[in-house]
Amino acid sequence: MNTFTSKSVKKLATRPEFYVFIIILFLSLFIQAKSGLFFSNNNIVDLLRSMTVPLIYAICAYLGFVSTGPDVSFPLIAALSGYLATQFVIVTGYSGPIFVVFLVAILGGLIMGAINGFIIAKYNFPSLIVTLGTTSIFSGILLGVFEAGRIKLPESMIAFGQKSLIEVTNAETGLGSSLPMTFLIAIGLYILTYLFLNFTMAGRGVFAVGGDETSAERAGFNVKKIRFGVFTVNGGLAAIAGVCYSVESTYFLPTEFAGKEMIVIAAVILGGTRLMGGVGTLTGCVLGTLLLTIVTNSLILIGVPIYWQKFIIGAIIIVGTAISVIQISELKGFRRGRRKKVGVA
Amino acid sequence: MKTVVKTNEPAILSNKNKFSFKKMDGNILRLLTIMFTLLIVASITKPDTFLSLANFLSMEKQLVEYGLMAIGVGIAMIAGGIDLSVVYIANLSAIVAGLFMQKFAIAISGPEQILFIVLGIILGLLTGVICGLFNGFLIAKLRVPAMLATLGTMQLYMGIAIIITGGSIVSGLPLPFAQLGRTNVFGIFTLSFIVYLVIVAFVAYYIGKTKYGLKLYLLGTNEKASRFAGIKNNQIIIRAYMISGVIAASAGLLSLARINSAKADFGSSFVMLTILIAVLGGINPDGGKGKIVGIFLATIIVQLMSSYLNMFPQISNFYRDMIWGIALIAILIVNYTLNKKSEAKLMRLTSQ
Repeated sequence: MNTFTSKSVKKLATRPEFYVFIIILFLSLFIQAKSGLFFSNNNIVDLLRSMTVPLIYAICAYLGFVSTGPDVSFPLIAALSGYLATQFVIVTGYSGPIFVVFLVAILGGLIMGAINGFIIAKYNFPSLIVTLGTTSIFSGILLGVFEAGRIKLPESMIAFGQKSLIEVTNAETGLGSSLPMTFLIAIGLYILTYLFLNFTMAGRGVFAVGGDETSAERAGFNVKKIRFGVFTVNGGLAAIAGVCYSVESTYFLPTEFAGKEMIVIAAVILGGTRLMGGVGTLTGCVLGTLLLTIVTNSLILIGVPIYWQKFIIGAIIIVGTAISVIQISELKGFRRGRRKKVGVA
Repeated sequence: MKTVVKTNEPAILSNKNKFSFKKMDGNILRLLTIMFTLLIVASITKPDTFLSLANFLSMEKQLVEYGLMAIGVGIAMIAGGIDLSVVYIANLSAIVAGLFMQKFAIAISGPEQILFIVLGIILGLLTGVICGLFNGFLIAKLRVPAMLATLGTMQLYMGIAIIITGGSIVSGLPLPFAQLGRTNVFGIFTLSFIVYLVIVAFVAYYIGKTKYGLKLYLLGTNEKASRFAGIKNNQIIIRAYMISGVIAASAGLLSLARINSAKADFGSSFVMLTILIAVLGGINPDGGKGKIVGIFLATIIVQLMSSYLNMFPQISNFYRDMIWGIALIAILIVNYTLNKKSEAKLMRLTSQ
């Protein structure tokens, strides 16, 4: 029993998620010590609330990285499909279950994702360049063709956004906050993704394709189909996030979506997802998102000016990628070999 | 394959490189055709607004900045990578130079002021070199994939720029420097355009005709082969990103002179535009192919298109984004199919 636990601790200690968890623990204790407001019930609920949309985005970024490469189009897919869903409700005057509104958005998202997936899978282009291009297209459609502006959401959607799961008020400060229903959606999506990735053949294929394309093909996975599938699903997920985001803010804000991708990518890297594909866990995504949400929410609390945020995100991406690259090359024994040669010369 | 007839001359000149010469010239010829078609269409449909000196001067001013950045991206692409950070290197360099000039060159006048302005420009260029060196270090030494490394440094440089400015705009530069952006040569060229032409000519020579350029193309085509050929890959890669960085910095300085201010997140939409121009110019994102002249022509095409669209008030700027996005993907697909075709032809030729 004793050896078993020490072994599992050792195994745990090699995983990046473990370190992220430790950092979160220390950071939250530090903030608590400095401001005394961290472990209050309303702060925790606020944190969960502001995590909801980034959590869903994180699945998109995660699936993209694990199978192919960076996907930066999800914020704009979210915006455009959120717009479509809002317009659907406004034009038809629909007031039935919110489920249908989500379906409309998801349909739009799936189509946009399929465009990404088709181009990436068929021509094998770098996913970053393709998704940069489609981001520009979707943004052009949203702001140019539809001329979308700030829209007040219809009543039925606002009603859904204001339904709360838990409501708390801080006894000391009197500040209250509530956890919206959308948080449940995020959790549901995580469970679904987990089940899909770990218990279906296609799910295992996502990892296989990202790990080594040729081997995956030899093992009988259809590489193109899996990549197409991943980006299509990403579109659908982004659409859900888009509706969640609009519902939370009670307005559809077309320009608020763009530029969210980098922080999500940084969160996913922090969680230990390897950017060259094949490695990463959903637990890591959650922890990475949690850490970055704490950092962005609490930078001011611990006295760091907010404009350090971009710098921190950039540093995380660089350091995170560099570490995983070094890990891989050590695995393959590249580094040691090269060092020896230098010594001889 | 229409191009075969027209490119007879170089083919005769060097029989050895017959095949590649034909192909390269085909691309340049295609670009020239597009350019002149656009020029003619624009001149016929909008003669009074398009064919005016003011329009040409404003086109010259606009294309310089992203044209230079596109060359940086193109060099990185020839080396088999990509440089997404050019826009933010440009902003950071402009901010560093701008802050320096604000601090030292604004209160004084005469030759001393000129000296400090020159120092500011050098400092800005140096910032670009350092940024490029860091990119190159990450990519060559740490072996981080270029796309991810520059995705990170893009945020990093923007972050640094925000930190040193506190998120505000740097403006109010010494008068002589601001005048550089307004100077016209012979009345038809802006000074920045002349600088741009000089840089294009120099880089085209450096990448196209020198030993270093040859090594760069070799590296981009096949990294392993170039290493076995005794080429120091790391040095070549680092130098490529340093060149890209310094070119981006010069773009930043020119925009600083033109608009007399700099901001950390200026020109975010240029990231995609520079990739579009490089790809349109015939640079293969896989590396080892393309010419600087192609990028130059592509820049002019994009600017012509952009100015032409500007003349239709009913087309908003957002449509332009959409058009660039569609163009990028369409060009990628067209180049892909053309490459496939020429590869198939090569296979047929070699199998006989």
